[in-house]
Amino acid sequence: MKVKEIMSTHVISLSPTDSLRQAARKMSEHNIGSMPVVENGKLLGIITDRDISVFAIAMGYGPQSTEVQKIMTTEVITCFNDQELGDAAQIMQQQHIRRLAVLDHDNHLEGFLSVDDIALASHDLAGAVLEAATPSH
Amino acid sequence: MNVKELMNTKVESTTPGATIKEAARQMHDIHVGCLTVMDGNKLVGILTDRDICCKVTATGREAGWTKVDEVMSKQVITCFDDQSIEDAANIMMQQHIRRLAVVDHANNIAGFLSVDDVAHASHELASGVLQSTTTYQ
Repeated sequence: MKVKEIMSTHVISLSPTDSLRQAARKMSEHNIGSMPVVENGKLLGIITDRDISVFAIAMGYGPQSTEVQKIMTTEVITCFNDQELGDAAQIMQQQHIRRLAVLDHDNHLEGFLSVDDIALASHDLAGAVLEAATPSH
Repeated sequence: MNVKELMNTKVESTTPGATIKEAARQMHDIHVGCLTVMDGNKLVGILTDRDICCKVTATGREAGWTKVDEVMSKQVITCFDDQSIEDAANIMMQQHIRRLAVVDHANNIAGFLSVDDVAHASHELASGVLQSTTTYQ
């Protein structure tokens, strides 16, 4: 099965100059925990609910005055939309993450693949991703 | 397999009267996303990074003036440390959550059990929890 068959294509994104407060509102409204930062279809970075709350408060970045591009993660782990699901799951396991940005071959952001999406196709692949995300205590 | 064998016993706590700024710094410094809120020996709530994002950063409250007990979740879903992983996964599925507070029979907090921990015992159960908690768009 290919990534494009089960990825989420409904992508809600931020622009680099949005404030942390705008990002928090969007995440809260749409019930999501991370969002891509996009300019002209190109993926610039990713920002999470933890970045804009815990990290920003701890570092003293004001929610109104700080733009998302200031604290977003620019090294985003991606896969291609025509890759096999098993390959994508393996990337997640190696990187200890639960979500990948999905690109086409022009490097445009096409969607996201999460461990939740994978669980619909294979309980075993999803379980392996979760196991890799948190080592046993 | 019992909850005790897979739970994370690293439990970090704050107090109801601490500020969100203090709690965020603590979460940042010790790399956790969740604090128990203790009034003396009594567990009165749970505070997550997500709570801070949605209830402080998104709303315009000032982190330095907002108290933990204004933001924390007061209804804490728990299981016992000697329950089976299967029971715990069923509670997660019924409540549509991915993490449980674990208590002993004297009602002391003993740890946390997440869906990632469940995956170490069963990929099937962990995927079941993912599917019960996902809203597909």
